[in-house]
Amino acid sequence: MRVLIVEDEHSLATEIEAALQKSHFLCDRAHTAKEALDRTDTGSYDFILLDIGLPDKDGFWLLQEIRKDHTETVIIMLTARGEVEDRIRGLDMGADDYLAKPFSLLELQSRMQAIIRRKFKLHDQQLKLGAFTIHVKNRTIHYEDIEISLSRKEFDLLNYLLLHKNRPLSRMQLSDHLWGDNADDEYDSNYIDVHIKNIRKKLNVYADTEWLETIRGIGYKIRTDA
Amino acid sequence: MRLYTKLTLFAVATTIVVLGLFVWQLPFLMQKIASGNTNKNLAQQREKVLNAIRENGIGYYFQGDSAYGSYSMLKDEYISLESYYSGADLTRLQTAERIIDGDTINYRILIDTFTIQAHTYLLEIGKKITSIQEESVALQRATIGVLIVLTLIMALVQLFYTRHLLKPLGSIIRNRLIKKTFPFPDSQPPLLTSTYDFRYLDQSISQLMQQVNHAFEKEKEFTSNASHELMTPISIMQSKIENMLTDPELPAGVVLKLEDTMRIMKRLKKIVNALLLISRIENEQYNRNDTVIAKPMIREVLEELQHRADEKTLVVEERLTDGVQLHHVNRDLLFQLFYNLIHNAIRYNRPNGRITLSDRYVNGEYVLCIEDTGIGIEEPQHERIFDRFKKSTAQREGFGLGLSIVKSIADYQRIRISLNSDAGRGSQFELHFSAAHLAP
Repeated sequence: MRVLIVEDEHSLATEIEAALQKSHFLCDRAHTAKEALDRTDTGSYDFILLDIGLPDKDGFWLLQEIRKDHTETVIIMLTARGEVEDRIRGLDMGADDYLAKPFSLLELQSRMQAIIRRKFKLHDQQLKLGAFTIHVKNRTIHYEDIEISLSRKEFDLLNYLLLHKNRPLSRMQLSDHLWGDNADDEYDSNYIDVHIKNIRKKLNVYADTEWLETIRGIGYKIRTDA
Repeated sequence: MRLYTKLTLFAVATTIVVLGLFVWQLPFLMQKIASGNTNKNLAQQREKVLNAIRENGIGYYFQGDSAYGSYSMLKDEYISLESYYSGADLTRLQTAERIIDGDTINYRILIDTFTIQAHTYLLEIGKKITSIQEESVALQRATIGVLIVLTLIMALVQLFYTRHLLKPLGSIIRNRLIKKTFPFPDSQPPLLTSTYDFRYLDQSISQLMQQVNHAFEKEKEFTSNASHELMTPISIMQSKIENMLTDPELPAGVVLKLEDTMRIMKRLKKIVNALLLISRIENEQYNRNDTVIAKPMIREVLEELQHRADEKTLVVEERLTDGVQLHHVNRDLLFQLFYNLIHNAIRYNRPNGRITLSDRYVNGEYVLCIEDTGIGIEEPQHERIFDRFKKSTAQREGFGLGLSIVKSIADYQRIRISLNSDAGRGSQFELHFSAAHLAP
C-alpha cells in the first residue's frame, strides 16, 4: 500500500512515516501543496494523509484538486483545527475520514485498517481467535455455535487488540481508544484490567484464552500465528 | 431611597424650614406692620379733625364746655379735645389705658397740641389695641393658609419635575446595565436626553462596554490561537513517543518512563482541548439546530460511565420522562454537558452513594435534575465553581475546566443552570430548558 503524507511539519511527517513503515506501508512525503500535486500527478496512492494547514495553499483546495483525478484514493484529513464545520466541509469535499491533531498514531493506523477492511470487504470476514470466531461486522464472538455475550466496551477492546494483533498495547492506548477524549488518566487505564478480566472469565468457560497475553508492566496483546 | 425621592424630600424640607422661620417671625412682623399702619392712620385722622375744627370753629365742638369727647359705640376709637394751659409741646404717640364710659381699654393714642386764636388745645385720638391685634391675627392666618397651599403645590411640582429629570438615569440602568448578556451588542442607539450629564454617563458606559468587548475578543483570540499553536508540538511529541514505544528492544524501565511521559502529555492535550472547546463555543462555531430526546442521551452517557459508577458501587436511579424533545441545541455539546455533570456526580460521590436523575415541568420550563450524595460544594464556592482552573480544596482531581465547559455550553445553548448544594450534603445541579427549547 502506498501512502502520501502531506504535512508541513517535517518532524511530524517523519514520525507518521516511521510508524506506517513499520506496518509495511510505502510512504512518500510532501510538505507543500505544490509538492503534493507533483507527487499525485506522477504516482498513484492508496492513501493520502492531508494536513489542512499548508503554507502555500489551502488544504481544502488541494483536497478538491486531488479528488478530480483520484477518485479511488482514500484521503484522510489531518488538522489542528477540529472545528465541526471543517470536518463536515472536508467530508463533503470527498475526504474519507478526519483526524484532529493531536491524534495518536495507533488511532491513525486503526482508521486506515478499518478503511482497508471496508474497501476490500474484509469486514465481513470471520476471524479465528484460538477456538473462538469473531465476526467484526456483526460485533459477535462465537464458540462453535454458542454466542458469547460481551459488553460494548469489552467487544471494542478485543476488536482493537485484534486490529493491532501481535503488538503490545498499553493500558493507556487502550483506554484512549475506548473513551477517547473523555478518558480519565489513571482511572480508566486501570479499568482496562477489569475489562480484560471479564473477557477472560466469559471466554474461559468454553476454551482457554492463551492468545490474549498480558505484557507485564505495559498492557496486553493478541498473539496470532496467522 | 430613590434619588428623586431624596431630591424632592430635600426641596420640601428646605421650603418647610424657611417657611417655619417666616411663620415664627410673622406675629412680630404683622405687629410691626399693623402698628405702623395704625400710626399712619392716626396721623391722617388728626389732619381730618384739624380740618374739621378749622371749618366749623372750635366753639362748635366745645359748646361752652371746657372739653369735647367722642367715641363710637364699640369704643374702637375715641377723640378728645380740651384746653391746654401748659406751654410744653406734648405731641407724641403712646399706648395707654383710658377709662371710657366706665370701661378701661388699652388704646394706641396720638396726642397733639394745637393753637387757635391764642388758645392752646390738647387733642387725643385713640384706636383700640385689641382691634389692631385682631386685624393682625386675621392677616397672619390668611398668610399661613396661602403659604401652605403654595408649599404643597411646589412640592408636587418638584416631585414631578425631578422624576421627569431623572428618567434618563432609569433608562440607562435598564437598557445598558441590567440583564446584559455578555458579550454586549456592538452598537446601541444613544440615549435621547437634553441633560448633558446623562448623555455623558451613557457615552462613558457605552465606551466601557466596547472596551470590555474588545478585551474579551482579544482573550478569545488568544485562547484559540494558543490552543492551535500548542496542538502541533503536542502532536509531534506524542508521535515520537508512540514510535519509540513500538521498539521491542526497549528496556522495561524506559517503557514505563515513556508511558509516564505519555500520560503527562495526555493531560496537557486534555487541557488544550478543553480550552479549545471553550473558545470554539465562545466563537459560536457550533450550530444550535439539533433536536435531542433527553432520556436516550442520558442513557448513553450513563452507559459510557457505567464502569465508574460500578467501581464506587453507586446506585444510579434514572427517572426521566419518555420522549422529551429538546430543540435548538447542539447534540455533541449537550452530550458533553450531561457527561461532565454526571461524571462529576460519580467522581465526587462517596462509595455506595446514589445518583438520581429526575425531571419535571415548572412554569413552562423543563427542568432536568442531577443529584448526588457526594462531598457537596460549600455555599461560598457556588459562584466560583464555574470559573476556569478553580476547584474547591476538597477536589483534588480534574483540571478545573469540567464545570467551566458546562457553563460555556449551557450559556451558549441558553440553558440555565442552578446549583443547590452544601458541603457534605451532596449536590443538585438543575438544568432549566426554557419554553423555546420545547417548541420546534
